[in-house]
Amino acid sequence: MKYMLIMTGTKAEFEAFTKWPKEDLQANVAFMRAFSKELKDAGVFVSAQGLAWPDQARLVRAGSDGEPITDGVFPESKEFLAGYWIIDVASAEQAYKFAARASMAPGRGGVRGGMPVEVRPVIEHAPEEQLR
Amino acid sequence: MKAPMSGAKTKAKKGVEEMKYILMMTGTKAGVNEYLAWSPSDIQAHFTFLTRLNKDLRESGEFVANEPLGAPEQAMIVRAGKDGAPVTDGVFPEAKEFLLGYWIVDVESPERACEIAARLSAGPGPGGVPLNMPIEVRQILSPRAGDPA
Repeated sequence: MKYMLIMTGTKAEFEAFTKWPKEDLQANVAFMRAFSKELKDAGVFVSAQGLAWPDQARLVRAGSDGEPITDGVFPESKEFLAGYWIIDVASAEQAYKFAARASMAPGRGGVRGGMPVEVRPVIEHAPEEQLR
Repeated sequence: MKAPMSGAKTKAKKGVEEMKYILMMTGTKAGVNEYLAWSPSDIQAHFTFLTRLNKDLRESGEFVANEPLGAPEQAMIVRAGKDGAPVTDGVFPEAKEFLLGYWIVDVESPERACEIAARLSAGPGPGGVPLNMPIEVRQILSPRAGDPA
Protein backbone atom coordinates (compact mmCIF):
# COMPACT_ATOMS: atom_id res chain seq x y z
CA MET A 1 0.00 0.00 0.00
CA LYS A 2 1.38 3.32 -1.05
CA TYR A 3 1.03 6.38 1.13
CA MET A 4 2.00 9.98 0.57
CA LEU A 5 3.50 11.95 3.46
CA ILE A 6 2.75 15.59 2.77
CA MET A 7 4.45 18.68 4.19
CA THR A 8 2.67 21.98 3.71
CA GLY A 9 3.13 25.55 4.83
CA THR A 10 1.75 29.05 4.39
CA LYS A 11 3.81 31.77 2.70
CA ALA A 12 4.50 33.27 6.16
CA GLU A 13 5.85 29.92 7.37
CA PHE A 14 8.10 29.60 4.31
CA GLU A 15 9.41 33.13 4.93
CA ALA A 16 10.07 32.38 8.61
CA PHE A 17 12.03 29.28 7.54
CA THR A 18 14.38 31.37 5.35
CA LYS A 19 15.24 33.48 8.41
CA TRP A 20 16.44 30.54 10.48
CA PRO A 21 20.15 30.65 11.44
CA LYS A 22 22.30 28.77 8.94
CA GLU A 23 23.13 25.94 11.35
CA ASP A 24 19.44 25.33 12.05
CA LEU A 25 18.71 25.13 8.31
CA GLN A 26 21.65 22.74 7.86
CA ALA A 27 20.42 20.55 10.72
CA ASN A 28 16.96 20.43 9.14
CA VAL A 29 18.32 19.52 5.70
CA ALA A 30 20.60 16.88 7.25
CA PHE A 31 17.61 15.40 9.04
CA MET A 32 15.58 15.25 5.82
CA ARG A 33 18.43 13.51 4.00
CA ALA A 34 18.87 11.02 6.83
CA PHE A 35 15.12 10.41 6.83
CA SER A 36 15.07 9.59 3.11
CA LYS A 37 18.00 7.24 3.64
CA GLU A 38 16.14 5.61 6.53
CA LEU A 39 13.15 5.04 4.20
CA LYS A 40 15.43 3.54 1.57
CA ASP A 41 17.18 1.29 4.11
CA ALA A 42 13.76 0.11 5.34
CA GLY A 43 12.84 -0.76 1.74
CA VAL A 44 9.75 1.46 1.77
CA PHE A 45 10.98 4.46 -0.26
CA VAL A 46 9.13 5.11 -3.54
CA SER A 47 9.82 8.76 -4.31
CA ALA A 48 10.37 12.17 -2.74
CA GLN A 49 10.24 15.68 -4.12
CA GLY A 50 10.78 19.16 -2.79
CA LEU A 51 8.96 22.00 -4.48
CA ALA A 52 9.99 25.53 -5.40
CA TRP A 53 8.97 28.36 -3.10
CA PRO A 54 5.33 29.58 -3.04
CA ASP A 55 6.24 32.85 -4.78
CA GLN A 56 6.87 30.74 -7.87
CA ALA A 57 3.48 29.06 -7.72
CA ARG A 58 1.00 29.81 -10.50
CA LEU A 59 -2.63 28.93 -10.79
CA VAL A 60 -3.49 27.97 -14.36
CA ARG A 61 -6.94 27.77 -15.90
CA ALA A 62 -7.96 27.13 -19.49
CA GLY A 63 -9.41 30.18 -21.21
CA SER A 64 -12.38 29.95 -23.58
CA ASP A 65 -10.20 28.65 -26.42
CA GLY A 66 -8.07 26.47 -24.15
CA GLU A 67 -5.16 28.90 -23.76
CA PRO A 68 -3.55 29.09 -20.31
CA ILE A 69 -4.65 31.95 -18.05
CA THR A 70 -2.20 32.26 -15.16
CA ASP A 71 -2.65 33.89 -11.78
CA GLY A 72 -0.08 34.21 -9.01
CA VAL A 73 -2.29 35.62 -6.26
CA PHE A 74 -3.21 33.30 -3.42
CA PRO A 75 -5.02 33.82 -0.11
CA GLU A 76 -2.66 34.37 2.85
CA SER A 77 -4.06 31.24 4.49
CA LYS A 78 -3.22 28.98 1.54
CA GLU A 79 -1.31 25.90 2.54
CA PHE A 80 1.33 25.31 -0.11
CA LEU A 81 2.75 21.89 -0.73
CA ALA A 82 6.37 22.09 0.39
CA GLY A 83 7.41 18.54 -0.41
CA TYR A 84 6.40 14.93 -0.05
CA TRP A 85 7.52 11.36 0.29
CA ILE A 86 5.73 8.36 -1.16
CA ILE A 87 6.31 5.15 0.76
CA ASP A 88 5.15 1.59 0.21
CA VAL A 89 4.21 0.02 3.53
CA ALA A 90 2.08 -2.81 4.89
CA SER A 91 -0.43 -0.69 6.81
CA ALA A 92 -1.67 2.82 7.56
CA GLU A 93 -0.17 2.47 11.06
CA GLN A 94 3.28 1.95 9.59
CA ALA A 95 2.77 5.02 7.40
CA TYR A 96 1.82 7.03 10.51
CA LYS A 97 4.99 5.86 12.26
CA PHE A 98 7.17 7.15 9.44
CA ALA A 99 5.15 10.38 9.34
CA ALA A 100 5.81 10.83 13.05
CA ARG A 101 9.53 10.41 12.32
CA ALA A 102 9.32 13.16 9.68
CA SER A 103 7.46 15.28 12.21
CA MET A 104 10.54 15.05 14.50
CA ALA A 105 12.56 17.23 12.08
CA PRO A 106 14.52 19.81 14.07
CA GLY A 107 13.18 23.36 13.91
CA ARG A 108 14.69 26.68 14.89
CA GLY A 109 17.27 26.27 17.64
CA GLY A 110 17.20 22.49 17.08
CA VAL A 111 13.83 22.22 18.83
CA ARG A 112 11.80 19.29 17.51
CA GLY A 113 9.08 21.16 15.68
CA GLY A 114 6.23 18.67 15.94
CA MET A 115 5.52 19.61 12.32
CA PRO A 116 2.17 18.25 11.13
CA VAL A 117 2.47 15.73 8.29
CA GLU A 118 -0.59 14.83 6.24
CA VAL A 119 -0.84 11.15 5.31
CA ARG A 120 -2.98 9.95 2.41
CA PRO A 121 -3.20 6.67 0.50
CA VAL A 122 -2.05 6.85 -3.11
CA ILE A 123 -4.46 5.14 -5.49
CA GLU A 124 -2.45 2.28 -6.91
CA HIS A 125 -3.64 2.35 -10.50
CA ALA A 126 -3.36 5.17 -12.99
CA PRO A 127 -6.63 6.08 -14.77
CA GLU A 128 -5.68 4.16 -17.93
CA GLU A 129 -5.30 0.98 -15.90
CA GLN A 130 -8.68 1.43 -14.26
CA LEU A 131 -10.28 1.45 -17.69
CA ARG A 132 -8.87 -1.90 -18.72
CA MET B 1 9.76 8.75 -30.22
CA LYS B 2 10.93 10.88 -33.14
CA ALA B 3 8.07 13.29 -33.76
CA PRO B 4 6.95 14.82 -30.51
CA MET B 5 3.84 16.95 -30.52
CA SER B 6 4.39 20.62 -31.20
CA GLY B 7 5.92 22.58 -28.36
CA ALA B 8 7.01 19.37 -26.72
CA LYS B 9 10.51 18.64 -25.61
CA THR B 10 12.81 16.51 -27.70
CA LYS B 11 14.25 14.07 -25.22
CA ALA B 12 17.83 13.16 -24.51
CA LYS B 13 19.35 16.35 -25.86
CA LYS B 14 22.60 16.56 -23.96
CA GLY B 15 23.13 19.76 -22.04
CA VAL B 16 19.46 20.67 -22.00
CA GLU B 17 18.59 21.56 -18.46
CA GLU B 18 15.95 19.43 -16.90
CA MET B 19 12.93 21.41 -15.77
CA LYS B 20 10.42 19.45 -13.84
CA TYR B 21 7.09 20.93 -12.89
CA ILE B 22 4.35 19.57 -10.71
CA LEU B 23 0.74 20.19 -11.77
CA MET B 24 -1.59 19.89 -8.80
CA MET B 25 -5.31 19.34 -8.71
CA THR B 26 -6.90 20.27 -5.39
CA GLY B 27 -10.41 20.35 -3.98
CA THR B 28 -12.44 20.64 -0.81
CA LYS B 29 -14.42 17.73 0.63
CA ALA B 30 -17.61 19.29 -0.79
CA GLY B 31 -16.01 19.51 -4.24
CA VAL B 32 -14.99 15.85 -4.11
CA ASN B 33 -18.52 14.83 -3.08
CA GLU B 34 -19.91 16.75 -6.08
CA TYR B 35 -17.56 14.86 -8.37
CA LEU B 36 -18.61 11.53 -6.85
CA ALA B 37 -22.23 12.40 -7.75
CA TRP B 38 -21.42 12.75 -11.50
CA SER B 39 -23.15 10.29 -13.82
CA PRO B 40 -21.08 7.21 -14.71
CA SER B 41 -20.82 8.38 -18.34
CA ASP B 42 -19.47 11.79 -17.26
CA ILE B 43 -16.90 10.13 -15.00
CA GLN B 44 -15.98 7.76 -17.83
CA ALA B 45 -15.55 10.73 -20.22
CA HIS B 46 -13.27 12.44 -17.71
CA PHE B 47 -11.14 9.30 -17.30
CA THR B 48 -10.91 8.92 -21.06
CA PHE B 49 -9.68 12.51 -21.25
CA LEU B 50 -7.02 11.88 -18.56
CA THR B 51 -5.94 8.65 -20.24
CA ARG B 52 -5.45 10.51 -23.53
CA LEU B 53 -3.49 13.27 -21.78
CA ASN B 54 -1.17 10.73 -20.12
CA LYS B 55 -0.68 8.93 -23.44
CA ASP B 56 0.24 12.19 -25.20
CA LEU B 57 2.67 13.15 -22.41
CA ARG B 58 4.33 9.73 -22.59
CA GLU B 59 4.67 10.01 -26.36
CA SER B 60 6.22 13.47 -26.15
CA GLY B 61 8.64 12.24 -23.47
CA GLU B 62 7.35 14.79 -20.96
CA PHE B 63 5.64 12.35 -18.59
CA VAL B 64 7.41 11.75 -15.28
CA ALA B 65 4.66 10.72 -12.87
CA ASN B 66 0.95 10.85 -12.20
CA GLU B 67 -0.56 9.81 -8.90
CA PRO B 68 -4.16 10.10 -7.83
CA LEU B 69 -4.63 10.29 -4.05
CA GLY B 70 -7.20 8.61 -1.84
CA ALA B 71 -10.34 10.57 -0.87
CA PRO B 72 -10.09 13.29 1.83
CA GLU B 73 -11.94 10.95 4.27
CA GLN B 74 -8.76 8.88 4.32
CA ALA B 75 -6.53 11.84 5.19
CA MET B 76 -4.83 11.98 8.57
CA ILE B 77 -2.60 14.60 10.15
CA VAL B 78 0.27 13.00 12.02
CA ARG B 79 2.56 14.59 14.57
CA ALA B 80 5.19 13.04 16.80
CA GLY B 81 4.17 12.79 20.44
CA LYS B 82 6.65 13.35 23.27
CA ASP B 83 8.14 9.88 22.88
CA GLY B 84 8.11 10.13 19.08
CA ALA B 85 4.97 7.98 18.79
CA PRO B 86 2.49 9.09 16.10
CA VAL B 87 -0.40 11.25 17.27
CA THR B 88 -3.09 11.27 14.57
CA ASP B 89 -5.94 13.67 13.86
CA GLY B 90 -8.53 13.29 11.09
CA VAL B 91 -10.42 16.54 11.61
CA PHE B 92 -9.91 19.23 8.97
CA PRO B 93 -11.49 22.64 8.37
CA GLU B 94 -14.27 22.59 5.76
CA ALA B 95 -12.27 25.00 3.61
CA LYS B 96 -9.21 22.76 3.46
CA GLU B 97 -7.99 22.23 -0.08
CA PHE B 98 -6.95 18.62 -0.34
CA LEU B 99 -4.44 17.48 -2.93
CA LEU B 100 -6.47 15.19 -5.18
CA GLY B 101 -3.79 14.19 -7.61
CA TYR B 102 -0.73 15.44 -9.42
CA TRP B 103 1.30 15.17 -12.57
CA ILE B 104 5.05 15.71 -12.81
CA VAL B 105 6.21 16.74 -16.27
CA ASP B 106 9.69 17.31 -17.63
CA VAL B 107 9.45 20.26 -20.00
CA GLU B 108 11.59 22.85 -21.74
CA SER B 109 9.94 25.94 -20.29
CA PRO B 110 7.50 27.15 -17.67
CA GLU B 111 5.21 28.18 -20.54
CA ARG B 112 5.00 24.58 -21.71
CA ALA B 113 4.13 23.47 -18.15
CA CYS B 114 1.31 26.05 -18.13
CA GLU B 115 0.10 24.81 -21.54
CA ILE B 116 -0.23 21.28 -20.19
CA ALA B 117 -1.92 22.63 -17.04
CA ALA B 118 -4.44 24.51 -19.21
CA ARG B 119 -5.22 21.31 -21.09
CA LEU B 120 -5.77 19.54 -17.78
CA SER B 121 -7.90 22.46 -16.58
CA ALA B 122 -10.22 22.06 -19.56
CA GLY B 123 -11.05 18.43 -18.75
CA PRO B 124 -14.71 17.57 -19.29
CA GLY B 125 -17.20 17.91 -16.43
CA PRO B 126 -20.90 17.04 -16.30
CA GLY B 127 -22.42 17.01 -19.79
CA GLY B 128 -18.94 17.27 -21.32
CA VAL B 129 -18.62 20.98 -20.39
CA PRO B 130 -14.95 21.92 -19.74
CA LEU B 131 -14.35 22.27 -16.00
CA ASN B 132 -11.74 25.04 -16.36
CA MET B 133 -10.62 24.07 -12.89
CA PRO B 134 -7.58 25.77 -11.37
CA ILE B 135 -4.34 23.79 -11.58
CA GLU B 136 -1.41 24.88 -9.42
CA VAL B 137 1.94 24.78 -11.19
CA ARG B 138 5.26 24.70 -9.30
CA GLN B 139 8.78 23.83 -10.26
CA ILE B 140 10.37 20.81 -8.59
CA LEU B 141 13.59 21.73 -6.80
CA SER B 142 16.76 20.16 -8.03
CA PRO B 143 18.65 18.56 -6.35
CA ARG B 144 15.64 17.05 -4.72
CA ALA B 145 15.04 17.92 -1.10
CA GLY B 146 15.38 14.87 1.06
CA ASP B 147 17.47 13.04 -1.49
CA PRO B 148 20.55 11.46 0.06
CA ALA B 149 23.62 13.11 -1.41
